[in-house]
Amino acid sequence: MLKAMSSLFDRLTSLFCSTPRLAPAELQAAFRGHYKEFRALLTANNNALELMAEMEQALTAGQPFGMAFVRGNCTALSVNIYKMIHHLTRLADGRYAELDHPFRAITKQLEEVLASRPVSTEGAAILPMAEVDASTVDQVGEKMANLGEVRNRIGLRTPDGFVITATAARQFIEANDLQVEINRRLKGLDIDNLEELYTVSAGIQGLISNAPLPTELEEAILSHHQQLDTAPEVELLVALRSSALGEDSSNISFAGQYRTQLNVSREFVTQAYKEIVAGKYKSQAIVYRQQRGFRHQDVHMCVGCLRMVDAAISGVMYSRAPDDPRSPFVIIQAAPGLASAVVDGSAASEQLRVSRTAPHPIVHRASATEQSQTLTERQGAELATVGVRLEEHFGTPQDIEWSIDRAGLLYILQSRPLGHAVSEEVQKTTEHSATPNDLPAPLLAGGVCASQGVACGPVSTVRSSLDLLRFPKGAVLVIETPYPDWASLLNRAVAVVSETGQMAAHLATVAREFGIPAIFGIDQALATLENNSLVTVDATAGKVYVGRVEVLLTLAAPKPNLMAGSPVYKILTEALAHITPLNLTDPASPFFRPEGCQTLHDLTRFCHEKAVVEMFTFGERYGFDDKAAKQLVVENSPAQWWVIDLDDGFTPDFDPESRYVHLGHITSVPMQAIWQGMMAFPWAGPPPVSLGGLGSIIFQSTRNPSLDPGVRSAMASKNYFLISKNFCNLSVRLGYHFALVEANLGEFLTENYVSFQFKGGAADENRRLLRIRLISEILSAFGFRVEQKVDAMTARIEKKPGPYLLERLRVLGYLLIHTRQIDMVMADEGMAANYREKIMTDLHTLMDTQTEG
Amino acid sequence: MTQPLNILLIDDEIDFVETTGKRLIRRGYAAKTALTCTEGLTIIATGWPEVVVLDVMLPDRDGMDCLREIKEKWPTLPVIMLTGHASMEAGLHGLECGASDYCLKPIDLETLVEKIAIAHRESRAPRA
Repeated sequence: MLKAMSSLFDRLTSLFCSTPRLAPAELQAAFRGHYKEFRALLTANNNALELMAEMEQALTAGQPFGMAFVRGNCTALSVNIYKMIHHLTRLADGRYAELDHPFRAITKQLEEVLASRPVSTEGAAILPMAEVDASTVDQVGEKMANLGEVRNRIGLRTPDGFVITATAARQFIEANDLQVEINRRLKGLDIDNLEELYTVSAGIQGLISNAPLPTELEEAILSHHQQLDTAPEVELLVALRSSALGEDSSNISFAGQYRTQLNVSREFVTQAYKEIVAGKYKSQAIVYRQQRGFRHQDVHMCVGCLRMVDAAISGVMYSRAPDDPRSPFVIIQAAPGLASAVVDGSAASEQLRVSRTAPHPIVHRASATEQSQTLTERQGAELATVGVRLEEHFGTPQDIEWSIDRAGLLYILQSRPLGHAVSEEVQKTTEHSATPNDLPAPLLAGGVCASQGVACGPVSTVRSSLDLLRFPKGAVLVIETPYPDWASLLNRAVAVVSETGQMAAHLATVAREFGIPAIFGIDQALATLENNSLVTVDATAGKVYVGRVEVLLTLAAPKPNLMAGSPVYKILTEALAHITPLNLTDPASPFFRPEGCQTLHDLTRFCHEKAVVEMFTFGERYGFDDKAAKQLVVENSPAQWWVIDLDDGFTPDFDPESRYVHLGHITSVPMQAIWQGMMAFPWAGPPPVSLGGLGSIIFQSTRNPSLDPGVRSAMASKNYFLISKNFCNLSVRLGYHFALVEANLGEFLTENYVSFQFKGGAADENRRLLRIRLISEILSAFGFRVEQKVDAMTARIEKKPGPYLLERLRVLGYLLIHTRQIDMVMADEGMAANYREKIMTDLHTLMDTQTEG
Repeated sequence: MTQPLNILLIDDEIDFVETTGKRLIRRGYAAKTALTCTEGLTIIATGWPEVVVLDVMLPDRDGMDCLREIKEKWPTLPVIMLTGHASMEAGLHGLECGASDYCLKPIDLETLVEKIAIAHRESRAPRA
């Protein structure tokens, strides 16, 4: 240490040989400069950690994501880490430049993972239907990917054929160098001027339709087409179906607006293909993309080429009634001939309602005309079986196009999510005949369905943030208003019932993300639903029942994660292996060095740690050493506190020569909040320890070198606040645990965060873990993202407004003081419960005081 | 903010620059747009812009090239790179050439505004 200091001094004196000591004004400027780098580093760190959390969440959430997401996040992440390294080297006067090596190595590995993709528009120009499924979506578009699932994963009959992929479309456009011209024509297009819009749209479509296909592509299409021609006695006719890639797939209503061409004979196949590709620039498609902010060149038109089914009967089937996602029937529309006649409404069709339950009886038929019945009982039952099967596979009600050929074989032509009008907009749930008859009378009915589903649990009413902590896992959250703050409870709640609010509320969005049923706008919920009473919430129907209603609960099936196993999913998993694992956990370890950084997370950890140390030792390095840290003047504190001002953390009238500082001189907003939390209640002193507990402390002290005062680092031996007006970094060693609180409340949300690290303790591992679990629970309830690794935990919140973060800082301040040493009693369930109760009561009081103040 | 920040958007995607420009102005910023690098450099030469938002792909010149020229002539002018095609290599290259930040489209205005404000603030504070 002494050696390091002297070499540092040598370097500094050589740096400033003319003035070994800086003049006060220069010193101040140097400090400001360093603080600027430090703040920028913290912001990059904040961004990086948020990006990592977002990527990890994508893996588990089951929401679809593409390569653009993976590549975009990796890029944003590497940019932020590059910045961290850059700011750290400036902060450290050029040291740590060697971080560039591990950084380059990791980003190179990441580049390789991203390049290994077999997906996206790089790939075969044509894929036979036998090779198409959800994992090929980046080549074949959503519509064809779904049909491939039906054929290859579910094993249902679909027409033979192949998909002309996104690669083919791109080759076609590139071979004719059309994109530049298309972009030129679209540039400055006023989409409100309909005449201009139609002219430009027609012009671009003509441009594409009249361009020649690359010879290789044309030959490939015709050769695959030839392979479909297995019955020479009849002319082979195909259907060409568009399957757009790159648009928001949730907008199902739009998907049908692209072209489909039926009964195409061989000589027209290539022309029909070009016309469908051109259909990407239909006027409504141009408007749609422009309004939604999609770039035209990012949307690719994949085209399915499928043998026409010689249809005797065709139609559409909904696996549930479109106005009732709970209905026990499939709805079938059937008409003689081709399915398209039913889809566009040109044929008089028969409507059937068929039970979803085997043996699938037809319960109702309604014909538009006096025609004979289209479907037999057996065909109705076969269709219903298929409808239920498809819904099961895709995890959501389906809208299915089908045909039965003259030999009586059923073909599935398309299956896509059923666009429930009711789930798209505000759904006024109403009485519906389809609900099972044997349901008890509901306790409550009405409201809007903010998130579909059914769940059962005990009622827990939350009236203010004080009730947050009492909220048990697995309970039904009952509230008056869906404040965004309650979102932190959604990983614990099984359902939400709110007296006010609607679909668009943030809490509704989060509930849908978590897949938690939610009813908003249901009157009298707080008055009617008693705390701890068991209820079943049927959010889809807008009803709440007493007790457990099994019939309803069996209706709620979990959604399968369709992303799992797909190539993009695998790539994200592989990429994350170079990103998130944290190997550098202990700054005191000999491996805590630039060469030890194996992941991007390690780099963030290393840079952050060293940046804090640099700021901490600034005073030593620039010659105002021991005077930099001022002792805080406090009474009745269990420890000594030291404060270092990084920029503007002290009031201007503070005397810099003084060795002491009073709270009144501290302008740091986050520090004041932590202090309020720490001092709100007197510390009750160490808890009474049983013999076992004490024994375990002695045992730990002999084994754990970090508990030995001799090896503590300079920083850890005292409790230090590093502050500016908006920033606070507090390192604490109280009792036998080490904690670090850091917060920034800047001008911009991007810069705002609170983080908390907690490690160690004197008791044995089990007790320490119990305490960490208690702290984790409390912090999760307050919206922290908590990670726990053995007996170390980190908790973070980013990009929230100041008042929200200050409240969290007060909670952390309280926990710092009042959870120390309780690990020793954690094994005693009774005492642990008492402490938990006391902590919660205190936090309630603390919040009350703050709310009133 | 005492004085509205002068922002120059250089991007050949006319819909994007126009709407973004209008929305920035509605938020109290001063915004000008340029569809090419050459046009952008002319505006920068007048000394008007305080922050530049630069697309990576421009019709007349490679955006990275454009960035290099800007940073050569006006090293203290903060430039935020914006692109529709994520590339780690390009991102890092942009920062090495002196870009303040490298962002991906689509970006919501809230985020862009913060990035602009932060880039501007960093460019004015003293260096370590």
